[in-house]
Amino acid sequence: MIELVLALLSGAAGGIIIALMPRASRRLRNIIALTFVVLGAVFTWRVAGMVLHGQIVGISWEIGGLPWSLQPDPLGAVFGLIASTLWLFATVYSFGYMAKEHKQGTYYTFLLLAFSVTLGVAFSGNLAALYLFYELLTLATYPLVIHRRDEEAVKAGRKYILYSLSGAGAILIATVVTYAWAGRLDFAGGPLLASVGLRRGAGWLLALFIAGFGVKAAIMPLHRWLPAAMVAPTPVSALLHAVAVVYSGVFGILRVVYSVFGHELVRQLSLGRFLPWVAAFTILVGVIVATRQDVLKRRLAYHTISQLSYILLGAFTLHPLGLAGAVLHMFSYSILKVSLFFAAGIIARQTGKLKVSEMGGVGWKLPLTMAAFGAASLGMIGMLPLSTFWSKYHLMRGSAAGGIWPFALVLIVSGLINAFCFLPTVIAAFTGERGQQVLEKGGGVGLMLAPTALLAALSVLIGLWPGMLWPSVESVVRSFF
Amino acid sequence: MMTAIRNNLPVLVVVAPLCIGFVLPTLVRRVRLVETLVIAITVIGLVGAGYLASLVFSGGGTTIVYSMGGWPAPWGIELVAGSAAVLILLMIAIVVMPIALFSANNLSHEVGASNRTVWFYTLYLLLTGALAGMAVTNDLFNVFVLVEVATLSCCGMVAARNHSRAAEAALTYLILMSLGSALLLGGIGLVYIITGHLNMGYASQELSRIWQDYPRVIWLAASFLLVGLGVKSALFPLHVWLPDAHSYAPSPASAVLSGLAVKGYLLCLMKILYNVFGGSLIQQLAVDKIITVLGMLGIIVGSVFALAQDELKRRLAFSTVAQLGYAFMGMGLVNTRALTGSLFYVLGHAVSKAVLFLAAGAIITASGKERISELAGIGRKMPVTMAVFTIASLSLVGIPLFAGFVGKWNLLLGSLDAGNWLAAAVVIAGSVLCGAYLFPIIRIAYFEPAPSRDLQDPGMPQKVGMLLLAAAVIILGVVPGPFLELARRAAVDFLAIR
Repeated sequence: MIELVLALLSGAAGGIIIALMPRASRRLRNIIALTFVVLGAVFTWRVAGMVLHGQIVGISWEIGGLPWSLQPDPLGAVFGLIASTLWLFATVYSFGYMAKEHKQGTYYTFLLLAFSVTLGVAFSGNLAALYLFYELLTLATYPLVIHRRDEEAVKAGRKYILYSLSGAGAILIATVVTYAWAGRLDFAGGPLLASVGLRRGAGWLLALFIAGFGVKAAIMPLHRWLPAAMVAPTPVSALLHAVAVVYSGVFGILRVVYSVFGHELVRQLSLGRFLPWVAAFTILVGVIVATRQDVLKRRLAYHTISQLSYILLGAFTLHPLGLAGAVLHMFSYSILKVSLFFAAGIIARQTGKLKVSEMGGVGWKLPLTMAAFGAASLGMIGMLPLSTFWSKYHLMRGSAAGGIWPFALVLIVSGLINAFCFLPTVIAAFTGERGQQVLEKGGGVGLMLAPTALLAALSVLIGLWPGMLWPSVESVVRSFF
Repeated sequence: MMTAIRNNLPVLVVVAPLCIGFVLPTLVRRVRLVETLVIAITVIGLVGAGYLASLVFSGGGTTIVYSMGGWPAPWGIELVAGSAAVLILLMIAIVVMPIALFSANNLSHEVGASNRTVWFYTLYLLLTGALAGMAVTNDLFNVFVLVEVATLSCCGMVAARNHSRAAEAALTYLILMSLGSALLLGGIGLVYIITGHLNMGYASQELSRIWQDYPRVIWLAASFLLVGLGVKSALFPLHVWLPDAHSYAPSPASAVLSGLAVKGYLLCLMKILYNVFGGSLIQQLAVDKIITVLGMLGIIVGSVFALAQDELKRRLAFSTVAQLGYAFMGMGLVNTRALTGSLFYVLGHAVSKAVLFLAAGAIITASGKERISELAGIGRKMPVTMAVFTIASLSLVGIPLFAGFVGKWNLLLGSLDAGNWLAAAVVIAGSVLCGAYLFPIIRIAYFEPAPSRDLQDPGMPQKVGMLLLAAAVIILGVVPGPFLELARRAAVDFLAIR
């Protein structure tokens, strides 16, 4: 119980402390930020451990007749685990990447506030709390999107706010309808609408929910804010726009399918059969558009859009194996994608090159960075020894077992296009003459390189020993089936 | 003595501010004394309203009926302190006190000479008394008289600003309000002619008996009342006077006009429609649908106009048009949860909008800048002012844990109870638009480079006033329980009369 509160409040406390010390030195600010992120992560791991071992950890209260509760289930624990771990890496990376940036106080304040809010999304025990934190996440991350403060950033920020507020509005209506129909909002007692059954308008309600959470999950055509939001500093793009924020949308959709409707009810809805197609469309179009982008961060953004729908596809199979694949992909994709973004950030910082077409020979200047980038690229194709192999394997098995085997083909095709998306870059990076000056020394590069390489290594480790994730995946699947 | 005060509380909350307001001009040379006196009175008023509310609340839905001068209705005038009345009284008291605090030693630069400050306070107390009267009165002619008192005091308060456009705005206001008053009087007259009663309860009983005999008269009376009170409470599209009047008035006046005055007229409309005509009759006359549709249009159009404004106070004034749309919409949906939401939204908006106008006033006073695009960096120079501005904005946008959310939640439930999906969608669209016109102000204030000029937060009384209101915004959002229960009982009472 107390761990839950501490995990949730650590980030916010650190953020507020940093905000109250505008004149603190960079060193002191970094120490404070790291301390509170570590605290938050440790408490989150503790909570996740307890939840995954079957303990019930939660608090609930009531405001004006409306119940609110924080009570993570295994899925929430998994999300919290991923978010808190990657937050640690991103914070360390930020120390290197942001060293010469302006407005670092504001940056760390909101990075830490967003940490708290993301954990709130993960820990939310009912729809009201989920809505609250989903809405707050927009507000907490907005200052990070407009970090550059120029016209392009402000425009991207406006887009981000309008898309997100509209999505949250759809969720609010859907939440009210759910409350009116089911009379309760908590996730703990089985699917909310199971007792209501198949009633008129249920399909519309599902559509409303999916559209609302789909904004942050970047389902096409609701994805437009995500490439625009790439004006944010790279650690923000890596952590928030490849993992935390977009996962809160994916997490919301998983919640809707498995905790609000329940897989049995979704299967009975005609919309339920249509949803995998939406995901498949986004998977393919996202990755095809990605191959056509020249700016590396935009390419990564469209690639994110595609990969998020892998998770959704797994969830929409409504089969235990598909869900297992989805949860595995939440782990493995996030680790590799953050590594990819981090590598792109190092390239931009050290060579000033933002476009793929300019990256010939970069590999000789940044060998370790490009090695990590190359490993992560292989992972995105789904090759063994990277962890994504296992998630893709389960996603395909889930599609076949769920009776929708064509989607296994979609995944294979998408894997091939992924190869076209990143491998040429990696190969080009190691062409040209060797023996150029290596740019990976001094000046805080180590702080950027270490997280990048460690994450790639972590992915290999998981790929070689996938059993380490299996207990948590299994408890998520068990909690819904 | 205490029992005498307690027994006469429903009338004291009306008469005390009126009487003291008239005494103030004799102290025209003692401005500081007047300011202290007004703050003291509003604090006492808050205690009185709170006590009255607790009596009604703990009584579990009882209403305190007070006969003026001991004459029982239908001969005498009746004051009724029911759930709706005490909720509105509380709202008035909660908003009036911090605004009085904010005005202390802060008015003369907006209204000119310091002796005019005293006259401003006279109008302020007259308005307070009149609004309190609207909350408790159960007599139709009383409604007219109080509406006139309130209108004229509002008009004076708008004109008090030493700004070239203020007089013009006040004149527009006066002309349109006279039209409204005339229609209101006509409507009340028609009801009196066919029912022979001015007491709302008796008129309602008579009306339910004879309404089939006078279908045209009733239709005419309803439309007169709707348009008359609609002009005064800025029902879209009768809101045209509001942006000028509310933005050119002195800031404390803007806060009280936007936060309270329009709500008083709105409550009068609600009382007349539900307590005199009754829910079923207004549904037969389709008045409910008209109000719902106009409310929804008000939300959308008001918000879009607010988006287009660059002047801070004008944007806030258009926002009031939009936010009143929510209250009208809930009023027209004719079910318990929608009415609850409507009443609570009125309360939440009153405190939130008062904060916004006070903060805007503080910013304009300190910086001399009236345009949003010129507010860069104000957030760092005036941290308290912008903090309360942000809190109030979050409330209006409808973020949970702030006052506005509770109202919106109930309005959404009410929309679904009424089967009106469009209304639910409009509530959400209004929230998004509200974010679109309020968040840029916050972004510019916090995230754009600060000006080199030295600005600072206003003085202690101003800060305390704003902080008290901001605290109310949060308290209403986090522990809305008793207020929501009052609103719910009020809604049930309104719907009990068929």
